[in-house]
Amino acid sequence: MTMDRMLTLGTRGALAVVLVVVALMPVLCTTFFTSQVGLTSLWLGLVAVSLTFLSGYGGMVSLAQTALFGVAGLIAARLSVESGWDPWAAALAGILAATAVGLLFGAVASGSQGIYFLIITLAFAQVTYFYFAAVPTFGAHEGINGVRPPAVLGDPVQDPARMYWFLLVVSVLAFLGLRHVSRTAFGLALQGVRDDPVRMAALGYNVRLHRTLGFTLAAPVAGAAGVLSAWSNTRMSAGSISLAIAILVLTTAVIGGLNRLEGAWVGALIYTLCDTYLRGWTDRFTTWLGVVFLVIVLVSPGGVVGLLGSATSWLHSRLRGGAPPPAAPSTPAPPVPVSSGGAR
Amino acid sequence: MTGAATAPVLRVRGLTRRFGGVVAVADVDLDIAPGERRAVLGPNGAGKSTLFNLIAGADTPTSGSIELFGADVTRLGARQRARLGLSRTFQTSRLLTGLTVEDNLYLAAVGVSGGRLRLLRTARDRTAREQARATAESVGMTDRLATLAGDLSHGEQRQLEIGLALVAEPRMLLLDEPAAGLSRSERQLLTALLLSLDRDVTLLLIEHDMDVALTVAERVTMMHDGVVIVEGTPAEIRGDQRVHDLYLGKAHV
Repeated sequence: MTMDRMLTLGTRGALAVVLVVVALMPVLCTTFFTSQVGLTSLWLGLVAVSLTFLSGYGGMVSLAQTALFGVAGLIAARLSVESGWDPWAAALAGILAATAVGLLFGAVASGSQGIYFLIITLAFAQVTYFYFAAVPTFGAHEGINGVRPPAVLGDPVQDPARMYWFLLVVSVLAFLGLRHVSRTAFGLALQGVRDDPVRMAALGYNVRLHRTLGFTLAAPVAGAAGVLSAWSNTRMSAGSISLAIAILVLTTAVIGGLNRLEGAWVGALIYTLCDTYLRGWTDRFTTWLGVVFLVIVLVSPGGVVGLLGSATSWLHSRLRGGAPPPAAPSTPAPPVPVSSGGAR
Repeated sequence: MTGAATAPVLRVRGLTRRFGGVVAVADVDLDIAPGERRAVLGPNGAGKSTLFNLIAGADTPTSGSIELFGADVTRLGARQRARLGLSRTFQTSRLLTGLTVEDNLYLAAVGVSGGRLRLLRTARDRTAREQARATAESVGMTDRLATLAGDLSHGEQRQLEIGLALVAEPRMLLLDEPAAGLSRSERQLLTALLLSLDRDVTLLLIEHDMDVALTVAERVTMMHDGVVIVEGTPAEIRGDQRVHDLYLGKAHV
């Protein structure tokens, strides 16, 4: 028991150390590194965690997260640059719009499961991309340039420290918020729907409503990532939400591990490091990234975080000679091919 | 309790379900009194499971009507019937495999009591947790509360399956082959558990295992090829020639 407590405290301590090191990045690293690797990892991790949440807790693998990311980012950019809105108000409007679109997408897609859900969300991603690529209000292919983040956050290129800390705080809050949700009646029921929708209907749950609301709940997270991306890069265009980016977000979430929320940021960091440094070493960047992806997926279906989890459990059992504590949430059950809601 | 004035908990009239050219359930009438223990028996393909799914709301009848607790529920889905106080178990366990035993039971309690969409923990959670633990005790799973449902043995999964149906204190309990795949001693435990159930609960069970069914049930409905062929007490059923023929595979009725 005391050993358990010590191990728990040890894990918490390790997490605290990691968080402190991450928080000190602007002090310890170059401006280039903080801006290029730090900011990108954080907003990419934030959009990826909206997918990790949907997939890990709701059994919904969505390709539409970049669409919601784009809705919020482009609306916020448009309102602050063209209409002269205060950046905070523009951000809020963008995130609210993304949430509304998320509700709409969720309501339509929640009737489908597995591959059909994936295809429907792919269609949403493409429709959104082509809409923004065509409409002049949002700069069409040119996008919107010269997005100015709130003055208090400083210049993201010259002095990214404050922007970095702000993104870090938003990320930690998103993580804690989603983790809290996963432990409430709503969140546990969402995991129940992931495991067996027929059983959940028999227990009195409205499966489709639960899926829709789960999807809606993830939308402001993806939306916030969109706004923060526009602020960090001082621009956003339809190209920021192309199919390639939608797949990148999926890849990021899978590299980190779909079973744990923190995996999203781990995957984002790995991708951003590869993107920043591997490109300089090789012309075949995409090939090498593909190899990294394959190795991680083959070695550990739970991603990098799953690998770390197995290592920790192994260490625990070596130290204690007992069974490792169960990791939560567990691997989702394979999708059950049934209609939702019980009665047809 | 057997008085003619007592309205049935479940009243089924002319229930029919066709799958293409196959009539799985044909014009079935069924009345079940409050507190009754009823078993539905019959060989494979007799239409027991289809009848069961129709009553639970997992399937829609081609024609006919179903009344539950005096209200017409023919067009209601499984979740609305569950909220009225109808619980069911599944023939092959349908558990929330990625959640612990306690969370499974907790969700079963919340599903009927309300607050399914709550994003904050409240006093109602404590009540639901207490219900979950009390049910775990009554089905003998107190020491498995923290185990993932997917990691349970087959016998334990069947226990949890019944626990999930019991936790919300249903008024009517549908049990779909609860003894399937259980060992002899596990079947005895199951029989004892079913016999110990409160009389407020009406019980309808489908069972292949004649020992369990005839011990628990007070009345038995025998089905074959989608129709009810005989209804009576366990003693009458044991002595019925048609039942013997069906189960021994001698001839068709």
